[in-house]
Amino acid sequence: MGFRQLKPGEITELENNLCMSDNWANVSVNENFNPSKIKNTRFSGMITIGNLSKDIEILEGIVKPSGISNSYIQNCSIGNNVYINEVKNLANYNIKNDVIIENVGLLAVTGETSFGNGVEIEILNEGGGRELPIYDKLSSQIAYMLVNYRHDSIFIGELKKLIKEYTDNKKSNIGTIGQKTKILNCIVLKNLNIGEYAELDSVARLENGTIVSSEEAPSSFGINVDAENFIALEGCKVNGGVVIDNCFIGQAVKIGKQYSAENSALFANSEFFHGEACSIFAGPYTVTHHKSSLLIAGMFSFYNAGSGTNQSNHMYKLGPLHQGILERGSKTGSFSYMLWPCRTGAFTAVLGKHYNHFDTTSFPFSYIDEVGGKSVLTPAMNLLTVGTTRDSGKWPNRDKRKAKIKRDLINFELYSPYTIGKMLEGSNILTELYEGASKKLEYVKHRGVYIKRLMLKMCKKYYKLGLDVYIGQELSKKIKSLETSSFSDFKKQLFAETVSTSEKWCDVSGMITPVNEINKIIEMVKSGELSCINCFEDKLRDLFNSYEEYAWKWTAGLILQTLEKTSQNIEKDDLIKLLENWDKSNSKLNNMILKDAEKEFDENSRMGFGIDGTPQEKEEDFKNVRGEYSNDKFVLGLEKEKEKVSIKVKELVKIIMMSL
Amino acid sequence: MCSSDVQSRVMKVMANVLKIDEAEISPDANFIFDLGADSAQSLELIAGFEEEFDIEMDEDKALEIQTVADAVVFITEYVK
Repeated sequence: MGFRQLKPGEITELENNLCMSDNWANVSVNENFNPSKIKNTRFSGMITIGNLSKDIEILEGIVKPSGISNSYIQNCSIGNNVYINEVKNLANYNIKNDVIIENVGLLAVTGETSFGNGVEIEILNEGGGRELPIYDKLSSQIAYMLVNYRHDSIFIGELKKLIKEYTDNKKSNIGTIGQKTKILNCIVLKNLNIGEYAELDSVARLENGTIVSSEEAPSSFGINVDAENFIALEGCKVNGGVVIDNCFIGQAVKIGKQYSAENSALFANSEFFHGEACSIFAGPYTVTHHKSSLLIAGMFSFYNAGSGTNQSNHMYKLGPLHQGILERGSKTGSFSYMLWPCRTGAFTAVLGKHYNHFDTTSFPFSYIDEVGGKSVLTPAMNLLTVGTTRDSGKWPNRDKRKAKIKRDLINFELYSPYTIGKMLEGSNILTELYEGASKKLEYVKHRGVYIKRLMLKMCKKYYKLGLDVYIGQELSKKIKSLETSSFSDFKKQLFAETVSTSEKWCDVSGMITPVNEINKIIEMVKSGELSCINCFEDKLRDLFNSYEEYAWKWTAGLILQTLEKTSQNIEKDDLIKLLENWDKSNSKLNNMILKDAEKEFDENSRMGFGIDGTPQEKEEDFKNVRGEYSNDKFVLGLEKEKEKVSIKVKELVKIIMMSL
Repeated sequence: MCSSDVQSRVMKVMANVLKIDEAEISPDANFIFDLGADSAQSLELIAGFEEEFDIEMDEDKALEIQTVADAVVFITEYVK
């Protein structure tokens, strides 16, 4: 854009329009500058003004001519077709094309700032020691490693250096407001970088932050939001009296209805309403919607907090030093309480109040209930419930991220080498506990929880069903991808590379991956091979993209272990048996889930229906509001899935039988 | 084993798992609606029956059992 000095006639016209400047020589304008577009405005410092010729839509149906009026502007570069009106203090900004700023108290950069980049938040452990520097490209994976891998101080040091290099480059005395951004009716906006297509409307105060936004994923901050020291990524919506202090807000995160959060990182697709977050690591899909829910000093993902959910991290001894982990897919029931430290396994439902410290990571898909003051674990129980299956289907469909680069790397699989590996671990523990328990015992105790002795054997059977389904699903995918008509080639390709099931996997806040591979990347950071934060991100993305490959190697190992065979002596019948087990176990599991779904339509579920009517009206009321079991979409879906698996198994068996 | 033996042992398991007096259990009593069994207790009942009768019940079919009478019929078949 070429700029020129103002002509004497233009200065006269500007002054006639009640405009002023410390020095008109410092004001440069576009070649087509029209002084009639600027009224009652005072300029100070270096100013450039673009071509203000087009009309601009302020709100839907309200179109005004671009221009500058009734404002104070200092050291700003103003793009084409910008509309600025009633801005009491606008200083030190590079304002891109088509930006609207109206009725704003302060929009200024006051000295050098990194716009929230590099702010360290005291996450997970309120007592400190796990500080996370936030920045405008942070992913849940990098945050997870930085927060949790404190055993490796060299890695943490190197990673922090990479982040610092990046955040130091963000330092400036001048902020940016991206093209087509609208800022309306805000009070104080200080030291902010605001991306394109963002909307800030009726915000109370934003200080020291970056709002990343794009055309496909615009971010918005709304009425009475008060935020300080923050980074917000594309597609986030923050509204309704929210109070934010030292927080990272990930892509497509929603925060509203007077939520308050401090020292917390809230990753992709999470939702926070009404309650409070303090020092939490909210991995992807952390959801809390209700009042009186406090999430404190915990790590969550794919999580749903019931109303009144609460935890304690402070036992009035050395301070708020305790922390907790609810692995992916966990839920806490209404008014559930946990006394940190605790760790629950993946896809676990926690009900009641728990004053015991427990670790159930080896028992995914479980229930932890409070029975007479005891924390009672029912392993595998959640495999049989309708909620888990429903949740696993809904998450991929609820991925609201529209940004070109999806920062958080997310695997949605319900069954993966991570959860299946834990099931194997849990099954072994159940066997040991069963063999060591006297029949006189009602409960056995394990890592802070009580397990009903009677359930030890039974729950292992349920894990076996999950294991059969996983093997079948993965084997089916793999067989379909092979192109050969010879069984020996078939075997070669299936078992070309296997790893032992003792190889551990981890859930790096959404990304499911082998521990060994993560360790290799850590070593590359430590050795300097990965010398920038972008290289580190790319490496993690490569690993994420290799999930299927690694998962199959592990599954192939699991198949050989299950069959107690080697890749050489495996027979057609072995594979057929695995597929038939899949069909059988899938059908059993689905039948049990359907049985659970049936409860949602039983007599107890009808209580309160047909409020003033006859039993028949009660039936009709229930039917019209809740529908019927036999027509329920979820129920029909599960029935169909059973059939599909049976058909698929028949096809696959045929393929194996036909191979030479 | 005759069905009355099965019934008395079924009731013993139920009383033990649900922490109720055997006298409170009628043959038609529904585990959930009448005796207040929750989901976990329903599974525990099956585990209890398996241990008591030394049988392995089909996981999903076993959940069809809703009453004492159902349990007796179901288990009698297995014991045979």
